[in-house]
Amino acid sequence: MRKGIWQEFDGYQDIVEEIKVSRKLGGTIAPAMINAEEYIRQLHPDRLELCVNGIIEETPSTKTLRFVSKDNYLPPFLAGQYIALYLEVGGIRTSRPYSISSPPNQTGYYDITVKRVEQGLVSNYLLDHVNRGDDLVSSGPQGNFYFNPIIHKSTKICIAGGSGITPFMSMIREIVDCGLDRTVHLFYGNKTDEDVIFHEELTNIAKRFDNITYLPVIEDPTDDYSGACGFVTSNLIRELLGDIEDKSFFICGPQGLYEFCLPELEEMGIARRKVRQEMYGAPLNIWEYPGWPEAVNKDDIFSVKLRDGRQLEARAAEPLMVTLEKNNVVVPSLCRSGECSMCRVKILSGKVFQPAAVPVRKSDKQFGYVHSCVSYPIEDLEILI
Amino acid sequence: MERYDAVVIGAGNGGLTAAATLAKKGVNVLLLERHNIPGGCATSFCRGRFEFEVALHQLSGLGTPEKPGLLRMELDKLGVMENLEFVELSDLYHVATPKGFRITLKTDRSENIAMLQEKFPHEKDAIDRYFDLMASYANDMIGAFIFRDPEPSREKYPYLYKYALRNSKEILDEYFSDPLLKAILSVYWGYLGVPPTRLAFAYLAMIFFQYMEFKPYHIKGGSQALSNAILNKFISDGGTARFSCGAKKIVVKNGRVKSVVTDNNDEIITEYVVSNASQVTTYTQLIDPEYVPESVSVEIKGRNLSTSAFTMFIGFDCEPEELGITESTNFLMDSTDISDAILDRMQNLNIQDELMVLSCYDIADADFSPPGTCQANVVTLKYGEPWLRIPPRQYHDVKFRCAESMLKRVEQIYPDAKKHIEEIEVGTPLTHMRYLGHPFGAIYGYEMLTKDSLFFQPGPYSPIQGLFLAGGWAGDNGFEPTLRSGISAAKSIIRRLGVK
Repeated sequence: MRKGIWQEFDGYQDIVEEIKVSRKLGGTIAPAMINAEEYIRQLHPDRLELCVNGIIEETPSTKTLRFVSKDNYLPPFLAGQYIALYLEVGGIRTSRPYSISSPPNQTGYYDITVKRVEQGLVSNYLLDHVNRGDDLVSSGPQGNFYFNPIIHKSTKICIAGGSGITPFMSMIREIVDCGLDRTVHLFYGNKTDEDVIFHEELTNIAKRFDNITYLPVIEDPTDDYSGACGFVTSNLIRELLGDIEDKSFFICGPQGLYEFCLPELEEMGIARRKVRQEMYGAPLNIWEYPGWPEAVNKDDIFSVKLRDGRQLEARAAEPLMVTLEKNNVVVPSLCRSGECSMCRVKILSGKVFQPAAVPVRKSDKQFGYVHSCVSYPIEDLEILI
Repeated sequence: MERYDAVVIGAGNGGLTAAATLAKKGVNVLLLERHNIPGGCATSFCRGRFEFEVALHQLSGLGTPEKPGLLRMELDKLGVMENLEFVELSDLYHVATPKGFRITLKTDRSENIAMLQEKFPHEKDAIDRYFDLMASYANDMIGAFIFRDPEPSREKYPYLYKYALRNSKEILDEYFSDPLLKAILSVYWGYLGVPPTRLAFAYLAMIFFQYMEFKPYHIKGGSQALSNAILNKFISDGGTARFSCGAKKIVVKNGRVKSVVTDNNDEIITEYVVSNASQVTTYTQLIDPEYVPESVSVEIKGRNLSTSAFTMFIGFDCEPEELGITESTNFLMDSTDISDAILDRMQNLNIQDELMVLSCYDIADADFSPPGTCQANVVTLKYGEPWLRIPPRQYHDVKFRCAESMLKRVEQIYPDAKKHIEEIEVGTPLTHMRYLGHPFGAIYGYEMLTKDSLFFQPGPYSPIQGLFLAGGWAGDNGFEPTLRSGISAAKSIIRRLGVK
């Protein structure tokens, strides 16, 4: 074929003219290169350089760490979102997600509120070894646990357990600070009355604002405690609220809270679409999950072979990602609860156990990808990162 | 220092097929991708119990095994078909207006003509002639370009010579007087990114013809399944892929590619690079300015950036029928205006009477969402630049406000939609800027104005020896063209390497 027959097409000369003019004057491309990247960084920075500006003792086991940004800019977020802290503890490079407990209208700092976890590598480090003036690195704000005005009702029933109160603190503080036209009924479950975080602040807010109600529920109260006891049950919710129509439900807390409360909500006939559930880390007792292979003991050790020839030892009850981190193999991570998919790796041979509810893409399943933060080795593995 | 025969930058459609084509020939290839997952636009994400498709609406060029289209032949050769399942879509598209007008165009020509003539009896003859025109144009195009006629001429291909560079609205105006009919026949402008006033008739005729001839398809598992399948083939053919690791620099020496520096500062020695990054990024960020030929800078400066998009991903807790969704592809049309006014709407930071497409993959693929649920992907086109003028702290408000207006439009056609929403996610032009790294979040590369389209595109070649371009910035956009662009870039390298 001759080259460029289009040069004979009707209208060709006009287009040549147009190209000439646009090359002279410039198309829309030139301004596009300016500042777009900087703008995106203001919304979704990969990393934030933070500095601990204050530490507030909330309860004997809980502290709030107040972070300011080293470059004086903190990106906006939606109340309920989290940041992942990236740190090195005991020679292990790892990360942890923490909901921001300060409200979005507080643009000067982010608070995170950390509760001591028995044997918790990072929580103990943050509580015992981080001081005012220390530097830390985090992700930008992330997560899908927030009030979405498109679909959520202006009256929210919030159920928190333990440190699961943190996203709700951000939400409630925003509502009262900014005078938002939203109502929150907060049910807050804790083991003992000593564990209740933000009790004073919540009590005061509930007293001052008609649109916030607060009910602490204690599982194992001390003798002089006079409030609600036990768990957050459907009866308790009904008793307090009566009508549950036209309300959205938000729930955040440890595994036990979901195991108890979700069936309660279902029993009340609340449609799944009305319930928003925050993730809360990898399961601690994975070997008790339905589907866990009987033949595998939680302390069984398997080998994990990497493409570069390295061979690691992995304990069945430990998420694959933790094994990788302990061996200095860096996998990107954010939510560490199986949702964000940042830590996906390919299993070339061998099997892992993943809880059924972990949202893995269909074709990722087909080609052997798993979310390593909630994948537990149950055979010797060969993996590709 | 590491050494590879070729480095592919970016695992979008073009990068993936380039890498896989090279690896299949035994070329030692390194594939770099900034994200932790392959696909670029061709990807999906999970929210709750839903997996949302990001980009693919109707895959073109596939055809059947008996009558394969070009894309099927290429994917077959690549050896990825066995891991993929395709579902033919029975309709081209459904158009619905708030006033209650409904029409479904099928993939069969005579059925379409009959259907349109029934709804628009006053345009009966024009409809016949218009479909003839599209067919004649397509035949000319195929004769001259697909079968590579060695001696094309105006006499042999009169429609091609006459219509290729003319804009679609002019042709529609010549044939029809009914504004609704014109709007219905030109809705595919949305897949190409420029309104009918600016869209070469070549595109409108060919997209229609292609879908009728080779049928539109859905991929089981969405476009991520295709991306994963190609990557899988690449790896099993010995390719090396590095994720969460982009390219920082293409080092050029004496007008030739010398190496690629990764985000981790590893320098990879190579003579060949396929860049699946945008042409703009490739020449303004990856290559030092002193090595970028003047001709390239001049060419880039004159181009226009395509539109970006505003997209809502919705998971419903009911079957599509319960919402009244009966077709896979639904254009929600509030205005029949196909003039340049469309361009003004695309610049605005609100949503009013824009054309939208609502895709519901569950219609063709019952396994797409969990039982008892379905999902919709609703898109309208928006330029990215105005979004950069929003103060960051107001971004969420603008996003929610637009989403609310969009949802109202959806409710006009499907009144129960809002009641059944279980999950919703919104992507704005800024989301595209963030994930694609394209200037202004341009989803279609350079704007397909006639001056930047077809015969006037950059193509895979570069004046820098060893550098090739793949993806939507080098040529046409959409899945079929970008997938094929990577293959053609790879073939150029294979020829130069002398690989059999």
